[in-house]
Amino acid sequence: MPYFRATDPFPLESADHTKLHEFYARLAAGRLATTRCVGCRRLAWPPRGFCGECGSDRFDWTDLSGEGTIHAFTVQEAGLPAGFDGPRVFAIVKIDGLRVFSILVGAEPSKVAIGQPVRVSPLRVADDPNGNARWLPAFCPA
Amino acid sequence: MRKVAVVGAGVSKFGVRKASYRDLIWEAGKACFDATPAVKPKDVEGLVVGSVLPERTAFQSHISSMAAEALGIRPSALSARTEHMCASGTVGIRYAYAFIAAGLADLVMVLGVEKLNQPSGDEAILNMGTGVDREWEAAFGLTAPPCFALAAQRHIAAYGTTEEQLAMVGVKNHTHASKNPTAHFQKGATLDQVLCSRMISTPLRLFMCSPITDGAAAVLVASEDRARDLTDRPVWIRGTGQALDGFQLTSLHEDYAHWPALERAGRAAYRMAGVTAGDVDVAEVHDCFAIAELIAYEELGFCRKGEAGPFVAHGRSDYGGEVVVNPRGGLIGCGHPLGATGVAQAAEVFAQLRGEAGARQVPDAAVGLTHNNSGMGEHVVMIYGREDR
Ligand SMILES: [Zn+2]
Repeated sequence: MPYFRATDPFPLESADHTKLHEFYARLAAGRLATTRCVGCRRLAWPPRGFCGECGSDRFDWTDLSGEGTIHAFTVQEAGLPAGFDGPRVFAIVKIDGLRVFSILVGAEPSKVAIGQPVRVSPLRVADDPNGNARWLPAFCPA
Repeated sequence: MRKVAVVGAGVSKFGVRKASYRDLIWEAGKACFDATPAVKPKDVEGLVVGSVLPERTAFQSHISSMAAEALGIRPSALSARTEHMCASGTVGIRYAYAFIAAGLADLVMVLGVEKLNQPSGDEAILNMGTGVDREWEAAFGLTAPPCFALAAQRHIAAYGTTEEQLAMVGVKNHTHASKNPTAHFQKGATLDQVLCSRMISTPLRLFMCSPITDGAAAVLVASEDRARDLTDRPVWIRGTGQALDGFQLTSLHEDYAHWPALERAGRAAYRMAGVTAGDVDVAEVHDCFAIAELIAYEELGFCRKGEAGPFVAHGRSDYGGEVVVNPRGGLIGCGHPLGATGVAQAAEVFAQLRGEAGARQVPDAAVGLTHNNSGMGEHVVMIYGREDR
């Protein structure tokens, strides 16, 4: 048997694999959504299937505005994992009162600034092993 | 609860090692047993192994039993593996402590081991991504450096901390490591070398970061009666604390230079030990990145919030200062073989409090502290004492 790497760095996003699949379905359509707990109406980030505050596992999907500002960021130039390119802008984005971790795409790293407006920019990554398209919630300058 | 002491310790050579996962277990076990002639493997009643990535790097699980067999230990009271990312080793020491304090065991080995540079170099960093949330963080390529870079950016903005001050942590710890034959790096470093090293994640440069390192370490932990039989200089576990703020970056304090869980873990450990920050003579803190050591000074009470930059720059955390931090060389100088780090920190404090640290000896060290974290929001603190007060 030849050596092979059994590593898939991306989540399995389809309905066969996660109860959060609606998040990814909406993301593929350009919408950033999250869960709101039916029990206590708390808005979560990231989306969650169990509420640690009230114990409910019922949730509604809510679209976020898709536009926010940079709360904190760093530019990684070296030492990235195999398969990920640098320089890479990692950012914490404030959006509708939530803090969202992501990357900034389509930005000149030296021009990124705290407070800069950004908007969601779904990023297509490798298909899953069954050939389903996959997307991550990346951001770009607004 | 019964009193508990460390009675023996040993560390393998840390580095990019031409050695297998099991070779490293043998090396640390032999070093520990050689240093503790009163204890043979058959005397050890329990084994706890701190190890994070053997499923990825050695394609091996069932670690505690594998290590016990490798060392000739036949556990009769405790056999377990602890996985808590970078703090796995200290989490293992806490398990041994609790079992012994509760009367469930009398003599336990805690061994930390990691073979990170395997099977290939480019997979090593990829594997480190398992320590952050796969779906919401690691899928973007996140590993530890950008997380701690956010803290460094914030510390610079809020407190005027300088790149030179961050670099001085690297200089200090590389210099300390040059006196430690088991350290990954042994050449020391100048301020210019650190400031000119390549940028990893702004503002953290290479020499402000711990490297990808293979290594193992072991300590023997015993009940009071057994400890007094085995050595005339036990090193007592006097306090311990663990606290978590959260796992994902977006669950932590909004100000990434503020680590409340470390303050809480330290406070719990100090209270249990009946000491204060000012009593600590020697501290092994988790300098995975230079910024982490600076924030540790503040949250552990060695200096006030925001004053860590001047604290290191004025030599107050070095020999001749208030507290010698990372005499072993820290994670920056020794390297960071995840599960082995916390155990190697304990081994250093054990040597320091027994006056056996040679060229690294902190004069008359009586109270030692170790701090191990697994990300910016998860912290473990141990207090060790020469006396059993
Ligand atoms: Zn709820």
